[in-house]
Formats: sequence, C-alpha cells, structure tokens
Amino acid sequence: MAKPPIRKPKKKVCLFCQEKVIRVDYKDTGLLRKFISDRGKIRARRVSGNCTQHQRDVATAIKNAREMALLPYTSTAR
Amino acid sequence: MRQYEMMIILDPALEERTVQPSLEQFLTVVTSAGGTVGKVDVWGRRRLAYEIDKKPDGIYTVVELTAEPDTVKELDRQLNLNEAVLRTKILRLDLR
Repeated sequence: MAKPPIRKPKKKVCLFCQEKVIRVDYKDTGLLRKFISDRGKIRARRVSGNCTQHQRDVATAIKNAREMALLPYTSTAR
Repeated sequence: MRQYEMMIILDPALEERTVQPSLEQFLTVVTSAGGTVGKVDVWGRRRLAYEIDKKPDGIYTVVELTAEPDTVKELDRQLNLNEAVLRTKILRLDLR
C-alpha cells in the first residue's frame, strides 16, 4: 500500500499576534467577518490560523457582536 | 471607579435628533452618582443582523463612562425598563 504523500501545510501566523493586538473589539465587524463562515459560524482555529489566546478572544468578540445584532447567529446565504 | 463601555440599541422609531438629549437624560444617573461620562458616539440607524422585537433596524450608540459598579448596574436596570431601548451591553475597558 502506497502511503499518501505527507503534506506539510504552511504554518499560518496568528493575525493578531503579528499586529500586536491586545484587545479584540466586538464592534469591528469588518474584521470579525473574516472569522465567520458564510453560514455565520465561527471559523475553527486550524482554518483561521489564530493562536489559542486570540482565537478565544475572537470567539468571545463574535459572541458579543451577535448579542448586539452586529453579526448574525445564522445566515441562510445558500 | 471603573471604566466601562456601553452600547445601547435604541428604537428606530425615535427621531434622530432626540437621541442625544434622551441619552444625556439616561446618563444623569452616572453624573449624579459622581461618575463621569466620556465619549458619546452615536452611530445612527443601522441594520440589525436579525430582527429584535420585529424591528429590522436600530439606532446604535456607544458611550464610554467611568463609574462605580453599582451605578452602572442601576443605569443598566433603568435602560432595560425604558421602552425606547432595544438592547444594552456593558463591557469593562480596564481589563487586561
């Protein structure tokens, strides 16, 4: 059995660590929209490439934004 | 005293120019209790991501203030009693 070739995906660097962001603002919907799918779901860390801490911050920011109707809980884009 | 940021969604039926005075009226609770009100940012009418009380949009306002925790609690209570307020959110600014 031939083994499938091992793919080494390029290691993504956390966007927020690069920018040295200390606080993820829930009001910045343009930025947060990058981290939700077209269905409105929060992107997984392996997709978004965020570090543990910033993924957590992004998730809470998105949840705050949802409460204030800035972002959708669900969107039926399809 | 702590720093807070408060977002208030107001009823879209409200006149745009009555927003500022009514906000000031809400915030007298803070000033009379020794707190200070910082930046008041009225975003204006904005589409909601989903309907709240069957309303498709709301008037967004963001207020920065410094006050005692009890004062903020009281402010939030009064806002939620008010019919013109759809939703509020208070976050502490001085965390981290």
